[in-house]
Amino acid sequence: MSAEGAVVSARTGRLRQPSVIPGFGLTVGFTTFFLSAIVLLPLAALVLRAMGMEWHRFWETLLDPRAIASYRLTFGASLIAAGINAVFGFLIAWSLVRYEFPGRRIIDALIDMPFALPTAVSGIALTAVLADNGWIGSWLAQYGIRVAYTPLGVIVALTLIGMPFVVRTVQPALAEVERDLEDVAETLGAGGFYRLRHIILPAVLPAILTGFTLAFARAVGEYGSVIFISGNLPMRTEITPLLIVVKLEQFDYAGAAALGFAMLVIAFVMLFVINLVQVWGRRRYVVAHR
Amino acid sequence: MSITLDQLTKRYQGLPVVNDVSLSVAEGEFFVLLGPSGSGKSTLLRAIAGLTGIDHGRIALHGRDVTYLPARQREVGFVFQNYALFGHMTVAENIEFALRVRKVKAADRRARQRELLRMVALEGMGDRLPSQLSGGQQQRVAVARALAHRPNVLLLDEPFGALDARIREDLRGTIREVQRELGISAILVTHDQEEAFALADRIGVMNQGRLLDSGTPDELYSRPASRFVATFLGAANLLLACRTADGIDFNAAADDRREGPRDPEVVVVVRPQDIELAGARDRLDSQYIGQGSVESIVYTGASEKLRIRPLRDSALARISSSGSAEKKGMLEVTRSQHEQSENPFATGQTVAIGVRHVHMLPTPLTSFIVCAASAPDAEALERHPLLEDLVAKMQTRVTVNLDAALPGNPPRPGSAATGVAVISAGADAPARIARLFRDGATEVLVLPVFRQAPKRVLIHWTDDAARRSTLAVAASLLRHVPAEALSLNVLPAGSAERERHQGMFGLLDARSEGQAIHRFDVRTELRVGDAAEELARELASLAGEMLILGVSDPAEVERRFDGLLGGTLTHPAIVVCASGREHPRFAHVR
Repeated sequence: MSAEGAVVSARTGRLRQPSVIPGFGLTVGFTTFFLSAIVLLPLAALVLRAMGMEWHRFWETLLDPRAIASYRLTFGASLIAAGINAVFGFLIAWSLVRYEFPGRRIIDALIDMPFALPTAVSGIALTAVLADNGWIGSWLAQYGIRVAYTPLGVIVALTLIGMPFVVRTVQPALAEVERDLEDVAETLGAGGFYRLRHIILPAVLPAILTGFTLAFARAVGEYGSVIFISGNLPMRTEITPLLIVVKLEQFDYAGAAALGFAMLVIAFVMLFVINLVQVWGRRRYVVAHR
Repeated sequence: MSITLDQLTKRYQGLPVVNDVSLSVAEGEFFVLLGPSGSGKSTLLRAIAGLTGIDHGRIALHGRDVTYLPARQREVGFVFQNYALFGHMTVAENIEFALRVRKVKAADRRARQRELLRMVALEGMGDRLPSQLSGGQQQRVAVARALAHRPNVLLLDEPFGALDARIREDLRGTIREVQRELGISAILVTHDQEEAFALADRIGVMNQGRLLDSGTPDELYSRPASRFVATFLGAANLLLACRTADGIDFNAAADDRREGPRDPEVVVVVRPQDIELAGARDRLDSQYIGQGSVESIVYTGASEKLRIRPLRDSALARISSSGSAEKKGMLEVTRSQHEQSENPFATGQTVAIGVRHVHMLPTPLTSFIVCAASAPDAEALERHPLLEDLVAKMQTRVTVNLDAALPGNPPRPGSAATGVAVISAGADAPARIARLFRDGATEVLVLPVFRQAPKRVLIHWTDDAARRSTLAVAASLLRHVPAEALSLNVLPAGSAERERHQGMFGLLDARSEGQAIHRFDVRTELRVGDAAEELARELASLAGEMLILGVSDPAEVERRFDGLLGGTLTHPAIVVCASGREHPRFAHVR
């Protein structure tokens, strides 16, 4: 069959069946060009720039204790924030999909606010509320909890800007889990938690992972909201993007490129791992729903 | 009894979607709930499983009251139309789900799962994912999964709905075999009567939230108790006729101008295959009922379907055939190939019509006669939404009698006796009702100007003599009106203990009589006080009430209920006068 199909293809000179949308060649060409010009080329320039350094200078910049502390904070806080978002974003999505309550539409609309707000505004707002003399900050200070100008503040800011990613990816997936599935599980004797654990979570896990990845990626690259609330204390609350800006301001372009390169590599490895997990998790489910 | 439902009621936005359903399903019985979409059958099934809460009534499974138990403690197996398989689990994992929830040992789980897969003829498919199976196979898995925990009952909600005909038949066979093998009671919900006939030990027909009738397929088909069951189970022609001392007279009912006392009007069911056609009256082997012209002929291979338009002067002017408006007033006839070749007809030809076998319905609400002083009044009454609705659902006729309503002018003798008299509300209503009763009417429908559809029907009879007729009217009306019903018995103030007991017994008797004769269940309440006052208070308590009042003496209408029925009656009411004549349970004429 396939051999015959190939012959036909060869005769008509087409590699693929004609699709509904015309211009396969055009679209693939554009995709490649776009990716190259906008994403790959600048990245390559970054790598080249970093490579232009002497080896020992390069390593020195990368392994500088201040830089390493900033990697830890950036990636650590991003992971924690994405994790918080995965849990609470799921809960928000759940209540929006499953329940009808007054103000549901308003809350639904508010979810997107962090998308629309300039991140610096979020940062200033958060700082105002969470600083030691802010509404919440002053209250928390009584218990000895300081949020602003600590790593905790960084996590809060990253959670805020990452939350819509999880909610918006989980929402449609949850809506697709049929009520019948839960009903049938209930008649089979499964209690509420068992149904959540064995029926609902497996169905929406790929979506949660996707949301987690997006929120994580967004948090790693976040700059505007963090610099206000973190206080930018070297070794303590300084994130890598800020360190890069500092280097740029000192006209140390090569150093900035080296740090950028480091972020690129770490981010790539982490996203790759998450993607592997996702593929593993999705394999069964997606096959099952084809 | 393995499933017992007692007056189950579920309301949705104030309207009953399941309305006083009482039902018993025996051990090992296969019960099919049949009804059109929106009849409440799926809601009823979900209520039994515990997936939907109920507003009134009780549910018992194997003698255990489960009314307030959550679904997971009811030990039922439920099969959905769309299979509802867990897509991320293999077939085996799906089937073992209930066992894993119950922490059954892995080895036992596997053994049970293998056994179930064998039963549903899917051996060796345990490792597949649901997506790798066909629709029919998926539903087999769903059936196996529903049986894994050895449930008390198996509930199936349109399980074949998404499958094509051949697979449907296969799966039907499998489900029936498995159910027999396990001896489990099952309720299956469907809108497909062929499916119901093929599977059921017993069928229950639902419409508008009520369980109208239940019985073996044969009972329901050959002896339906209501118009709906007659027309929903197979094709049927509904005809109005008069019951005479020696049988059924089709000609009397057709002729409304005939003078003299009349025999009671009845509704008669004639199946299309029970009608005989011949070129001339004397060539008929069966009872002649009139003449008609052949309107259309459709060959369906083994048989031929004809539509006959009755001639104006024949008895059959009063047919209401099941189905659409274009078929209205036409007689549906099915003839075998044999009959067809022996007696071929062409469209347009005039034929003599005979019936081989008729079945009489026990409904006292046969047709309506609008009684008004003037033609505009009569027209207004005819257009009352309640009457229009009843006429459409009962597929019956409305005639107009102007004379009868004129004060002091006696109606033609007996002319009101053939149907339900309809009058408009007003101060003189009680007097007119009493007069209509004296003239031979047995039921009078009083319509107020107010046009709200009834949500609840209040039933009351003044004494035991009126009970049977009142119940018959209530049962018949409530088959067509989606309203809840309450039967109110009122004892006079200061009744002795003994009388109260008797009052209770009376209500219990009434309930069992309603169930036995009309397959109609009603909620009952006992009050003490003045009947008219209690009724008035109850009517005032809710917008959208309707009253059914039964008396045995026409004088009582004016004497006791003048205030209730006269003046500003804002609720529709049917007043019934026990005439002594009994409506037949069932009658067959061969």
